[in-house]
Amino acid sequence: MKDTVRIGILYSTTGPYAEIGRDARDGADFAIEEIRALHGSAIEPVVIDPHADITAYLEGARSMLRDHGCRHIVGTITSLARKEVIPLVEKHDGLLWYMCPYEGFEANDNVIYTGGCPNQHLLPLFDYLIPRFGRRPYLVGANYVWGWEMNRLARELIEEAGGEVLGERYLPLEETAVERIVLDIEQRRPSFILNNFIGPSSYAFLAAIRALGARDPAFRPENCPVVSCDLQESELPYIGLGVATGQLCAAAYFDTVATPENAAFKAQVAAKFGSQRRISSVFASAYASVKLCADAIITAGTDDPLAVTRQLSAAPTPTVLGPLLINPDTRHAALPFHLGRINDEGGFDIIASQPAIAADPYLTNRRSRMPSPLRIVS
Amino acid sequence: MRETPNFTGWRATVLHREDSNTERLTRQLRLIGFQVTVQWQPLDATDLPDFVLVDADQGWDGLLPWTGGNAPLPLVTLLGSEAPGRIAWAMEQGAGSIIAKPLGSSAVYPALVMALGIHHERKAVIEKMKHLEERVRLRPLVHAAVERIIAVRKVDEEFAYTILRNCAMQRRMPMEQVAASILGGAEPLPEAG
Repeated sequence: MKDTVRIGILYSTTGPYAEIGRDARDGADFAIEEIRALHGSAIEPVVIDPHADITAYLEGARSMLRDHGCRHIVGTITSLARKEVIPLVEKHDGLLWYMCPYEGFEANDNVIYTGGCPNQHLLPLFDYLIPRFGRRPYLVGANYVWGWEMNRLARELIEEAGGEVLGERYLPLEETAVERIVLDIEQRRPSFILNNFIGPSSYAFLAAIRALGARDPAFRPENCPVVSCDLQESELPYIGLGVATGQLCAAAYFDTVATPENAAFKAQVAAKFGSQRRISSVFASAYASVKLCADAIITAGTDDPLAVTRQLSAAPTPTVLGPLLINPDTRHAALPFHLGRINDEGGFDIIASQPAIAADPYLTNRRSRMPSPLRIVS
Repeated sequence: MRETPNFTGWRATVLHREDSNTERLTRQLRLIGFQVTVQWQPLDATDLPDFVLVDADQGWDGLLPWTGGNAPLPLVTLLGSEAPGRIAWAMEQGAGSIIAKPLGSSAVYPALVMALGIHHERKAVIEKMKHLEERVRLRPLVHAAVERIIAVRKVDEEFAYTILRNCAMQRRMPMEQVAASILGGAEPLPEAG
């Protein structure tokens, strides 16, 4: 490969999900630095920050594909942004690298999914929760497709288990007036709470539940946990250390994953960002995606999406998320499942894990699926 | 909220000349759980799959073994043309949804779910219509039974009707059936009040 290949990095570092976006950018930048050290100028990033503006996402992606000659874009956080960018990527026959957990029901030929769909996060999460806490949850979420669809699936899982959803409430992005919802939760007394809020709504909600638990022990995390699928280590300081202690979160990666690969990765990150920096799943996923993309391009000797995809499906690539293999049909990565419990130090203690689960974005195997035994580690 | 549709193990037949569209469509259908057959010849009426996807650009009458939009299974049409005649053909076959060509993979699952939903709705409407038609057909019997009750019990029409309705309710039978039984002498004339 003689020429420099450009890949787009498209993350918002401001707006309602800024903490997640900044983490993603840091992870991507960190990967680019590493690639530069190894391969010089073989790969050059084109970085655009759309500041959570959906039009800017489109313009950014268009500029990457048309003006900068990128055929690969690593980016977008929300499903809304992803859905907006996909038609452009299709038109230019590019590849979008999407690395956030999302609500599933998608398998696009022009996308590589490394973030996980519900059979990789929500289903194993409910397998864990229902026998331990009961089948009468309360569902909350951000008022867009992530919240709606996650809660719809949760309701289906609960009904299949013979349980009952005690309430389902939504807030617009960035809304922090959670009092009425918390009051309703106090009256209805659910067995656990599924939290699909994002950003500031989520932080305000966790703080309010903490206050409720202080008044009424039934709402302490050990009795009625608040469970999320997208909370990041980087967000915990914004919630306040100790505020969400004991609450649960599902992810394919936590800073505390005890593998030699992760220990090495943490040492590298610490050398750059300091030993205080906790690595989130978003940081790790963005890092792994950029690395995977660049390595596949370099190995294939071309940035042709077809050649790159073939490379990704041929054999698992070692990554910080574990050996990563992209299924050529679903375009999704098989991902491990970890359940983390927030600790006082701003991290997650891993309390249950499952080895890599193949993605089933359309939930075709659900009816025949048996809950797989989780390895309980504490 | 409707439950998540699950097509695992369903059989789909794609009636379309093999090309890049059918290739992409087949891959997406398999992903969603279907067993897929692609053919460009009339569908065998004796061996129908669970779902049919048909090319409305080049489809001809007789490709599908039914007429008048009475599709016995959910039907999706694939359409590149915007010609009204082709859209009309799609509707005449009983299509529940359209996937535009060139085919985008994200269009497939929504079209399937919609076609399935429309198929169920149509079936329910047809059943309901049959039921109502039967009742309309038997309506003269109700009228005759009411006349008989008026004559024998010396009550007005409204009261006679109430008697008949109460009788039907007590026996958990349609009024038409009770009326037929009364007129045929199989059922004693109900008491007034």
